[in-house]
Amino acid sequence: MRNSGAILLAWMVAAAAIAPGSPAAAQDADARSAPYDAVSSAVCLLSYSSEITNPANGSVSKRETRALGLVVAPDGLVMTHGHMKLEDSEPFNIRVTVGWDEDEQEYDGVLLSKPDDVNVCFVRIKHEEPLDLPCIAFARGVELALGEPVVVIGVMGQSLDYRPILFQRAVGAILESPRTTYCIDDRVPFGAVGGPVLDGQRRVVGVVGFDLSPKEGGDLYIHHGHPLIFQADLFAKYIDTPPGEEETPEDREDAWLGVFTQPLTDDFAEYWNLPKRGGVIVSALVPDSPAEAAGLQRGDIIVGFNDTPVRAKQDREVLGFTKMVRDAGVGTEAVLKLLRNGEPVELRITLEGRPKSARDAGEYEDTMFGLTVREITTDLRIMLNLSADVQGVIVRRVKSGSWADLAGFRTGVIILNFGGHPTTTLDEFRQAVEQVADERPSEVTVFCRIGARTGFFRIQPRWQDAGEDEPAP
Amino acid sequence: MKRSIWLLGLCAVCLTGCVTFGGTQRAVIRAKNRVAPGLVHIRPVKEVFSGGKREEVLVVGSGFIISHDGYVVTNEHVAGEARIVRCVLYNKEEVEAEVVGTDRFTDVAVLKLVTDRTNLPAVKLGTSKDLEAGQTVLALGSPHGLARSVSLGIVSVTDRYLGSHGDMVSPYNNWIQTDAAINQGNSGGPLVNLKGEVVGVNARRLGGADNVGFAIPIDIAREVVEQIIEHGRVQRSWLGLTLQEMTRKTDDPTRHGVVIGDVDPLSPAQDAGLKPGDVMLSVNGIPTDARFVEDLPAVEKSIADLPIGEPATVRIARADEELDIEVITREKSDLKGDEIEFAEWGFTASELTPAVVRTAQLPSKMGVLVSGTQVGGPAANAQLDTGDIILKIDNLDVADLAAFKRMYDERVESKQRLVLLDVKRGALARFILLKQDGEIQQADVTGDTLEDGGDHEE
Repeated sequence: MRNSGAILLAWMVAAAAIAPGSPAAAQDADARSAPYDAVSSAVCLLSYSSEITNPANGSVSKRETRALGLVVAPDGLVMTHGHMKLEDSEPFNIRVTVGWDEDEQEYDGVLLSKPDDVNVCFVRIKHEEPLDLPCIAFARGVELALGEPVVVIGVMGQSLDYRPILFQRAVGAILESPRTTYCIDDRVPFGAVGGPVLDGQRRVVGVVGFDLSPKEGGDLYIHHGHPLIFQADLFAKYIDTPPGEEETPEDREDAWLGVFTQPLTDDFAEYWNLPKRGGVIVSALVPDSPAEAAGLQRGDIIVGFNDTPVRAKQDREVLGFTKMVRDAGVGTEAVLKLLRNGEPVELRITLEGRPKSARDAGEYEDTMFGLTVREITTDLRIMLNLSADVQGVIVRRVKSGSWADLAGFRTGVIILNFGGHPTTTLDEFRQAVEQVADERPSEVTVFCRIGARTGFFRIQPRWQDAGEDEPAP
Repeated sequence: MKRSIWLLGLCAVCLTGCVTFGGTQRAVIRAKNRVAPGLVHIRPVKEVFSGGKREEVLVVGSGFIISHDGYVVTNEHVAGEARIVRCVLYNKEEVEAEVVGTDRFTDVAVLKLVTDRTNLPAVKLGTSKDLEAGQTVLALGSPHGLARSVSLGIVSVTDRYLGSHGDMVSPYNNWIQTDAAINQGNSGGPLVNLKGEVVGVNARRLGGADNVGFAIPIDIAREVVEQIIEHGRVQRSWLGLTLQEMTRKTDDPTRHGVVIGDVDPLSPAQDAGLKPGDVMLSVNGIPTDARFVEDLPAVEKSIADLPIGEPATVRIARADEELDIEVITREKSDLKGDEIEFAEWGFTASELTPAVVRTAQLPSKMGVLVSGTQVGGPAANAQLDTGDIILKIDNLDVADLAAFKRMYDERVESKQRLVLLDVKRGALARFILLKQDGEIQQADVTGDTLEDGGDHEE
């Protein structure tokens, strides 16, 4: 079906330039369409589910998304727009569809680490056999001129089988700060976001982008609705060395201190009468963390990590310290140089692995009552402001029409006791559900925490007789 | 022939219809005429804290005169925090009023018209206990500011339970639901039966629905009004319990009592050893049965009506035994704390209430709650945020709002360049450094989004 896609493209381009009908014109059209055909064959469709966490209540909702992807390396590296991975959303169940109709091939994909200096994401296609997919070759080092016409390739909607489509646009503005940014003169549909941009010489010079990466200034541009061109030079290094894949052991564990920090700005230094050399203020400690065990205190100022000075004066400079800790190695002993009440102090800390985050939290789906619950991880505990004495499992999903749904359960409720059985862990919850199922009571009282308060729900199961499940003769 | 039968039929329908309608119409007009002279169009200038600033805004509501010397009943959400209240009487005469007292838990307020007259037309208060669904009622008031408006409908339900939504609470009453049109501005106006007696105080409506309005039953409002006139406020007892209907635990109709769903920390109930899961059977011998949610307000009220600071005997069922537990009641604190604008620092803060202390998991009532920050102000520039709780200033504990105000005044006076605030934000803590030398900047649409300003976790 890629052929049909090419025919469609050919027709569209030809229609724009030449009257159909003459053989010479058709040949000309073929010649003109060739570069677009080559590029469009590298356009693919990304489908993925996202979990969006509401930071206010920790509730999680799901969304199915389709987006344009570009095969940028023949071994199965796909690039797409940075919207795929946002701070509060986590994509999973990623599929990559390459080609159309009989050539259509669907692969599983894995999201690689998101670069922090350009707002794109990379997906690695998982396939046992080595792949040799058609891919895009970007022209690097191309400078565009104001008013220069460009062609954008996007995909159409579901009812049109996500076939490629061309848009003719122009460079509408060139901004020089925070870096050279090309703005497209007119809006493009969502299906073109992340799509290849070709210049007048039909070189693929970049992709359609929207907001910049946080490091470059964040979502400043999207508010104005102007699409941008991310020129190839911004992301070429990631095609050469895909982000996250450069690290040696794939499952290297991040080291963790367990502190929340702020930069030591000159004003803080002045207030505390400290040298204005920067540092990292410990603003909060995670309970039961290595930092707490080592005796780190709120208000301590970290000025050195092992032999490296820590000199953060701005928020973004704190990230350097974060990386230092992360890469120091789990189980290693680190020396923290501190200022405590203005006096130098040295602390030795054994770094531990970062505790499991909500993203990796264990989950249990109970099909009988219709509750899917997950364990309360350290980050969730902090996000929901739960004290250590709140021990339970948190409801992640309630199956519509289930017994739990009828009882009024909703996402975010924390189950502390199920039918008289404490549920401090996923295992205990599973056992409680199984036990209740064996006992088959007419009512199940569930003790929960809802927001800052506790309360009860009553589930009224409709147990079926043992024989009822059997098909009728 | 057929045609004449049809015509005859039509006449009969018209005749009966007209007779019935005429009777209703007379009754409606009679009822309206009895209440209307006591109707008041209320225009309070309220103190509103928004965007880190204190502002005064003019709002419009309704009310009704209940005594010949000029006591007026309206809603708390109309007259609460009002500095000046201008009232327009039914004869279009304008009279100023003072706020006598308000009660956030029932949304009732009492005003006193500033006048020496003792012959003002007062409405007659009826009773809400005899109301029936289907009964004709009138709503009078100023929908969208249109004074002296009358709308007609019926009582849809007499005991609608409405749960809490933020500051919109009604723990002590169910609601009269009516389809008589109630719009913005009707708040505080009377719901009237065909005898011309006030049976409810119109207060809420369901947004996005057609004519689903709610009135506070007059029997509840009357008690509150009497207390406000006598004491200036309503005093209630507090045990620190969150109660749930029995059907939360069992559908067995033979089981009496009410479920204790939660016990507040540092409350009389906790001190006495009451626990979630206990079933409260009675208080001082008075049964506290609440099988359904609609039964809860009456139980809550029976607790609120206990003498303050005195022992009460709570009978509970725990596991298989019944126990009598003595609890010493305390006075229930207000729903919302006082609020102050700290203009030099560009933010507003309010007192901590037990609810905030509970939600923020604070160990005590020490501190103040940031209720808003002004864009471009020193507080916002230092990344102080709405919802933050200020626990310390320059390393000194902040006991309460009054103490914070004193500390603020001293620092504004001394003009010290930097002020350090210790702030609790959710489960985390943060240092905030306010600069007193910076001028308040104009709001910058993009400037604030560039700075990260978040906490970094290592």
